[in-house]
Amino acid sequence: MSDLVVECRRVTRVYGDDGVAVRALQGVDFRVAKGEWAALAGPSGSGKSTLLHLVGGLDRPTDGTVVVDGEQLNDLSESQLSDLRLRKVGFVFQAYNLVPVLSAVENVEFIMQLQGVEPAQRRERALSVLDQLGLSDIGERRPGELSGGQQQRVAVARAIVTEPVLLLADEPSANLDSATTLELLALLRAINEERGVTIVTATHDPIVMGHASRRVLLRDGRIESDEVMSSPAWHA
Amino acid sequence: MKLTLLVQLSWRNLWRHRRRTVILLTTICVAVGSVLVLNALLRGMQMSMVETAIDNLNGHFKVLAPGYLDDPGITKSFELEPSGIPGLSAEGIRGWAPRVRVPAVIRSERETRGVQFVGIVPGSEDISFLGDVDVDGEYLSGPDDRRILLGHALAEQLETGVGRRVVLITQGADGGNRESGYRVAGVYDAVGTGIEKAFVFTGLATVQDLLSVDAVTEVSVRLTEEARGPSVLGDLTNTFDGLDVRTWQDLEPQAAMMHEMADATVSIWFLIVMGALIFGLVNTLVTAVMERIRELGMLRAIGMRRGAVIAQVVIESMITMVIGISTGVVLGLLGFAWLAEGIDLSAFAEGLELTGLRPELVPQLWAQDVFLVVVLSLVLGFLASIYPAHRAVRVQPLDAMRR
Ligand SMILES: Nc1ncnc2c1ncn2[C@@H]1O[C@H](COP(=O)(O)OP(=O)(O)OP(=O)(O)O)[C@@H](O)[C@H]1O
Ligand SMILES: [Mg+2]
Repeated sequence: MSDLVVECRRVTRVYGDDGVAVRALQGVDFRVAKGEWAALAGPSGSGKSTLLHLVGGLDRPTDGTVVVDGEQLNDLSESQLSDLRLRKVGFVFQAYNLVPVLSAVENVEFIMQLQGVEPAQRRERALSVLDQLGLSDIGERRPGELSGGQQQRVAVARAIVTEPVLLLADEPSANLDSATTLELLALLRAINEERGVTIVTATHDPIVMGHASRRVLLRDGRIESDEVMSSPAWHA
Repeated sequence: MKLTLLVQLSWRNLWRHRRRTVILLTTICVAVGSVLVLNALLRGMQMSMVETAIDNLNGHFKVLAPGYLDDPGITKSFELEPSGIPGLSAEGIRGWAPRVRVPAVIRSERETRGVQFVGIVPGSEDISFLGDVDVDGEYLSGPDDRRILLGHALAEQLETGVGRRVVLITQGADGGNRESGYRVAGVYDAVGTGIEKAFVFTGLATVQDLLSVDAVTEVSVRLTEEARGPSVLGDLTNTFDGLDVRTWQDLEPQAAMMHEMADATVSIWFLIVMGALIFGLVNTLVTAVMERIRELGMLRAIGMRRGAVIAQVVIESMITMVIGISTGVVLGLLGFAWLAEGIDLSAFAEGLELTGLRPELVPQLWAQDVFLVVVLSLVLGFLASIYPAHRAVRVQPLDAMRR
């Protein structure tokens, strides 16, 4: 139990209590162990994003409990949730991950500034992460001067520089071509394997699912299947 | 440390739309600059009016016998110690002038006019407009001078001039008429023709002789500085127990009212200009927030606190105001320096004489006014950011992903 990073119990999320209620999640039990990469799959509207948001402390369940790294999210106030997101969760969204007026390095530094990391350390860590992700030469550019794939990789750098217990990515490859998607996935794979960062992704993309260590299929707000991949595609 | 981050972010965001920001800054700059220049002009006008009111034989304070204002005449007079004003400390007082002022009729060979006949101590009149008045002919030599000084406009009406004789008739303390002839020593030029037509001057002792009294009807007191007013007023009231001590505002209620109106005009102008400006600022800030909804949602999602989002908008507003205000103050100072020599209004001299304004308007820029404009602008800049900040903080973290 202690190496569970995410533990959702009988989680229900209903949107719009007046008029027609949409039951986005209906009593989902979902656990993620440390070091896993779980890919949430399923048709559009099945509740992937909803579940991801609940796990990341961006939304609250209508019913049920969510525990992240031992913290019961239901008990946390708005600002405590905000702090949890800042300190324990790294986010990579589909788009608009970066602050347009800051350069790539500054974007990576920014989150450490929010955390209150010493200035000297900040720059060093930001440069080192960009270096490890092969982004050193674009560090000074602003997001507008980067390709979609580069932007997503900078977003990954931003998400992992704080060494979060959990990395969440919602359709990270939606705006990327397949070659760039493969690069991004290789990066996530390395982060997952080498750094032991736990990852949860929500995606339609079979390539993304192929890279995960576990595939959770959602349908109509319920988990339909949950399988550990014996031989992830990236090994082939 | 977090603040430097927010300042940096706000600063960069401010320049995201260079043109919009430049237009906004220019507007603030021009508004602040124009408010300061207008302020300086109004102050100049205001002070010129006060100077005129004080110069026109009022002084800051005037000591009068009770009832003189309702029924001026030698019966409403009082005696002075030969040594001057007893027991009054000289501190805060620039000078004082005793006078006998009585209503009289002046007659030349051709015309007759009603005037105020005023006996003065010429050497003491440096506290009034007589101190540096332009005189054709000669100024009075002393309190015993038996000649008279009359205004240019009156001399024209009477068709008389320097060296000619006129007759003055007034009423003695006993109610009987006193009449005497005087030679014109000089003809003076005052700021308004009203003054020139109203006052005929001679030596103090000359009028006292004519009326067979030792008394005076008024003592004007001029301060070294306005701030001394209250303490000197207290001293005067004690010293001249039983007499009336009036301020220039009591004596010139119209000038006093215009003085106060100038204050109000400055504030109203400031509020109108700044009100329009703040409207523009709020508008720009709201637009900037709406443009950045995704970014703000993303920042909130990755863990930026609500307070930091609010601070970001407030800082952006304050940076805008600080730049706009400082360039505006520079603009205002330049405008002031350009006008500092004074503006020649002699083209409007006729109209101005009625208001008691001098034909030259010298602007005055007061540190306290600049300070007030700066502080109020900053406060308004802060207030202007409240609503946009509120809009920004309403953005939910999930908004970043939905669109
Ligand atoms: N804010 C909301 N208000 C109302 N209904 C919502 C809201 N967000 C999601 N839903 C509904 O909840 C259900 C699940 O949505 P969710 O976004 O989790 O699906 P998804 O699996 O991520 O779909 P997609 O693959 O299209 O991203 C959908 O029917 C959706 O319309
Ligand atoms: Mg989704």
